[in-house]
Amino acid sequence: MGASNGPRLSGIQKQVLSLYREFLRVARSKSGEDRCQIESIVSAEFHRNSNEIDRKNFIYIEYLLRRGKKQLEQLKSPDIVGLSSLNVGSSQPKKT
Amino acid sequence: MAARGALLKYLKVNVTSVPRNPTSAAGGDTGLFSVAFNAVRRRFSTEEVRGSFLDKSEVSDRVVSVVKNFQKVDPSKVTPNAHFQNDLGLDSLDTVEIVMALEEEFGFEIPDNEADKISSINLAVDFIASHPQAK
Repeated sequence: MGASNGPRLSGIQKQVLSLYREFLRVARSKSGEDRCQIESIVSAEFHRNSNEIDRKNFIYIEYLLRRGKKQLEQLKSPDIVGLSSLNVGSSQPKKT
Repeated sequence: MAARGALLKYLKVNVTSVPRNPTSAAGGDTGLFSVAFNAVRRRFSTEEVRGSFLDKSEVSDRVVSVVKNFQKVDPSKVTPNAHFQNDLGLDSLDTVEIVMALEEEFGFEIPDNEADKISSINLAVDFIASHPQAK
């Protein structure tokens, strides 16, 4: 808790923040509405994982980092214009 | 006009001589070369200083307004001395978003190792005010 230097970040935290930053940079290269959508999905995904995953679960975090890097590479392609997500769990059929 | 032409020719000769003898201390022309080169360099650096460093209070106002516009922040809590995590209740991911928003506001890219150090409004203002590319 250094007031002037800010919190000390571990190596893996720096990697996560750097990946997040790169995602936001790529989002800038896309056009208006797509950009907003990419930003909100990426932001939600990172925040959700940061709350749900135990900070000591390095193996899983490293897996997510690798997966994120692959998705980032795909998103960097100019042919890819947007990102969308599908929430399967919440779409439970209603009983009538 | 004639003076301008002469000056341009003079500068051009010196510029082309740069790659040929960058470190050589021998020869009668090095003295002339270094005087002219220093004059050119001084002219460029003073122009750069005058044209690009932003006024600190202006930077501070703009940083505060960027942070106030951030959706997760309570605008009434934002002061020029606020710390992102301790005072505004943001996490490290939100801090990344704020630094990215500052990049867009000031029109230059902040490298990762610098961005990781920016954890309060004061640090952001200091960094941006000392950065010649900030607009």
